[in-house]
Amino acid sequence: MSGTPELGRGIRAGVRRLFRLPPRTRAQADADADAELDAFLEARIEHLVARGMTPAEARAEALRRLGAPLDDVRASLQHSAERREGRRRVLDWAEAVLADVRFAARQFVRTPGFTVTAVLVLALGIGATTAIFSAVRAVVLRPLPFAQPERLYMLWESNREMGSDREVVSPPNYLDWKERVSSFADVEAYGSAPFQVTITGLGEPLVLDGVPVTGGFFSMLGVRPMLGRDFTEAETWAEATWRAGETPLLLSARTWRTVFGGEASAIGRAVELNGGHARIVGVMPEGFAFPSEAVDLWMPSGWASENREAAWYRRDQSIRPIARLAPGATPERARAELETVAAQLAREHPATNTHVGAGLSPLHAFLVGDVRTPLLILLGAVGLMLLIACANVGNLLLVRASGRRQELAVRAALGAGRGRLVRQMLAESLALASLGGAFGIALGVAGTRLLERLQPAGLLRVTTFPVDAGVVAFAVLATVTAALLFGAFPALLARRSGPGEALREGGRTGGVAPGTRRVVGGLVVAEVALATLLVLGAGLLVRSTIQLRQVDPGFDPDGVVAISINLPGSRYPGPPTIAAFYDELLARIRAIPGVESVAASSTLPLRDRGATSDFFIAGRAPDAYGTEVVRRSVTPGYFETMGVPLLAGRGFTDADTFTDRWDEPRDDRVALINAALARQYFPGQDPVGQRITTDRVPDSTSQWRTIVGVVGNERQSEIAMPAQIELIEPFGQAIDTRMHIYVRMAGGEPTRVVPAVRAIVRELDPELPLIDAVAMEDVVADSMALDRFLMLLLGAFAAVALVLALVGVYGITAQVARQRLPEFGLRMALGARARDILGLTLRRGLSLVIIGLALGVAAALTATRAMAGLLYGITPNDPTTFLTVTSLLVAAGFGASWLPARRAARLDPATTLRAE
Amino acid sequence: MALLKGTLDVLVLKTLSWGPMHGFEITSWLEERSGGRIGVTDAALLQALHRLEERKQVTAEWGVTRNGRRARYYALTPAGRAALREEAAALVDHVDALTDILTARRAEP
Repeated sequence: MSGTPELGRGIRAGVRRLFRLPPRTRAQADADADAELDAFLEARIEHLVARGMTPAEARAEALRRLGAPLDDVRASLQHSAERREGRRRVLDWAEAVLADVRFAARQFVRTPGFTVTAVLVLALGIGATTAIFSAVRAVVLRPLPFAQPERLYMLWESNREMGSDREVVSPPNYLDWKERVSSFADVEAYGSAPFQVTITGLGEPLVLDGVPVTGGFFSMLGVRPMLGRDFTEAETWAEATWRAGETPLLLSARTWRTVFGGEASAIGRAVELNGGHARIVGVMPEGFAFPSEAVDLWMPSGWASENREAAWYRRDQSIRPIARLAPGATPERARAELETVAAQLAREHPATNTHVGAGLSPLHAFLVGDVRTPLLILLGAVGLMLLIACANVGNLLLVRASGRRQELAVRAALGAGRGRLVRQMLAESLALASLGGAFGIALGVAGTRLLERLQPAGLLRVTTFPVDAGVVAFAVLATVTAALLFGAFPALLARRSGPGEALREGGRTGGVAPGTRRVVGGLVVAEVALATLLVLGAGLLVRSTIQLRQVDPGFDPDGVVAISINLPGSRYPGPPTIAAFYDELLARIRAIPGVESVAASSTLPLRDRGATSDFFIAGRAPDAYGTEVVRRSVTPGYFETMGVPLLAGRGFTDADTFTDRWDEPRDDRVALINAALARQYFPGQDPVGQRITTDRVPDSTSQWRTIVGVVGNERQSEIAMPAQIELIEPFGQAIDTRMHIYVRMAGGEPTRVVPAVRAIVRELDPELPLIDAVAMEDVVADSMALDRFLMLLLGAFAAVALVLALVGVYGITAQVARQRLPEFGLRMALGARARDILGLTLRRGLSLVIIGLALGVAAALTATRAMAGLLYGITPNDPTTFLTVTSLLVAAGFGASWLPARRAARLDPATTLRAE
Repeated sequence: MALLKGTLDVLVLKTLSWGPMHGFEITSWLEERSGGRIGVTDAALLQALHRLEERKQVTAEWGVTRNGRRARYYALTPAGRAALREEAAALVDHVDALTDILTARRAEP
């Protein structure tokens, strides 16, 4: 009764599923339904004719038996067939995806070496990218946590005379801007310099970082204290504090928790602030930190209104104003208005404002400022690394896929559509990427924590890089992109190679198809190019850091420790008391065993530059004044202690001091100048004996100093910045409450003297807070912290990239060698020497390396320009770096191709031929 | 005679329990067995076959008849066999009940 199933045409459903062949299409289903109906009618007619009917009668009878008009039946059968196949397609699809994943999992388990390598490479790429992205997001991308932050602008002074902009602003200029510019809804300001306050009355004296702000500062930002009250407009002025008899303080949530135990009773509590009365009036919300996360508390600016018209106050650049644009106002209009007001002020106050302009920048961009470029470069670098990782895994997959060509070909021959095979490949890539991504995100979280610890202190406005939903979304996106990238190559190749071709090849060579080889070669070239770019970038940073290390800071940090002390003005009211304290302190420290010498300076090289001022040299033309001279006071013996050479004249002695008639004009004031000032203002002259004053326009009250000597340049603010001109006064004639004590120790770790110094300070004044101490070598090292940080990270990325690229080169050379083994065997049997074989194999690997290198170098010539601002002493296309890196890479590429080539050349030709 | 609703599917499954058949074989078999008493239109039968295939109670594949013609051969799946057992039992039960009711005589006095 049953017929024989037709061969080939009808593939059993089970087989269809087993080989992941596609279900029938809509058209096929319709055709099936039609054919079945026709066959049925034929059979009926045949049957009836056999019973004796004429064909015409039989046909009529068959149609009658159908029970409905033929066309209706046909349509309804087609419809049900389509519906059936449609449903089956959905079911099959779901089943197939599951099967794909299961299949992929089995493949992975079967090749653990491949799987572990690929997952590790991906995890590394995704992890590093995620970590860097978390930092970029926290620092650059996350909007400021204020109301309508895009309406906030940082206002700054510019100075035409010095060609500078983005400068700190003086309170009188700020007040005039605030009153006259109508485009601003509000302008408030904060103190630009970090301000250490000593809080006493809580047991141990405590040093906290405070920031003075104008009364309306927080309400302008749109942030309210979470406890207690905000400052008032009136508290901008010192009069409010005088009336109240105390300074109101707002605590950061962190300080409230760590110092005051997070208790509500902290509000209203009285404390001593730098020796004056103060009271805690509120606590800012958790997470609020401005201008940096280091802030512990805020206090009102407390300006004395009687100073408003004083010329010196108009030059007292000490605040950063932030403006909120008025509704409807544009930044362009605000800038125009601001410039008009600056021009008015220049006319109204010619003595101070002739060269002073004004400008504004979006607040966020201003705050992110310098770290934007390095962070984006790191993100770019890590992105390149991820690309290389993808290329690498893509290569691994390709090589593996070429081993699976038989499998794919069989499937294709059985009718598996190409789309179907592509999907299978993509499912595998996605599964692989997901594994890599999962590990990568874990790695990324760890990397983020590491970054937080590695980042140089104070470099960034934020100290934590939270791994939030955005970062995770980024990691997932990176994973999927990676999967598509590296999965696309084998998938496309699977599309391209026809089944016949692969089947004909048979199982003999198991080699790589020419198409695959081209793609693998292309990927290796891309890897080498990207790695070259990264290594060049890292190389530039390494060389820049080396250059920086060779910079002479102008002093000898070896064996010197700096200890910072700040005397509260309330208990040390006049120069005699301050001088007495420091004299005694230095004398007692000098007596500590192991101390070679000790001295003090009001500045800390590379960290605390101190103030600058205008100056005038006696006998010059009235308009020949100078600007921006760094002023500081040092005790006798400072230059000996710090190893700074005396170039001319004499240094300070104990005689350069007086304790009476501080404010009067007198003729025994002396000064030293640094070599920069001597060269710039006394070219070809002997500055010793010349007189100088820190007034721009000297008058009868000016205090003149006689220059007694010239000392070497010390770099003041940054190691990469040449020394500024400097005027040095003897401490005995220019007393300062805040001094840095420098102790040179005879050998060994200089910081070992710190406990003894602390003990002496405690004996002299038990209420002084614990003091900061730092080895000068660390100061020098810290001044290069950003460069080192960047160099380390970029170096690490470049190293990983290079290893991945070399693995790629190695892999392809080994592949070529394996594939041509029979040919080599034949050649050797015919008399070719091992050296010839070596050359043949090497050629392939090396040519890819050279092409990649050339492309990488070409790209780097342009790309490294983005790094120009980060490099010291070299150009972004530094030939030395380019040459060194290129030759290193050629050597590395040679090594990576030579290893497998040598192995091929060493094989016994007899063995390889027999294996054939 | 018209068929009870839902009965056709069971009859088709029963027919296929003898082995794979194509549509015309099935209808011929049903006609022979019922002595022509069961009238099924061919459209309904073909529709029923599609229905059963969608429910995965039968599978279909193209084959060649003894006369050398192409035909779509249907075969029972394990699911179809289970459905046949279940629905046949239910139907027999149902028909027994109907028979009891319709053939009952008036109660004896």
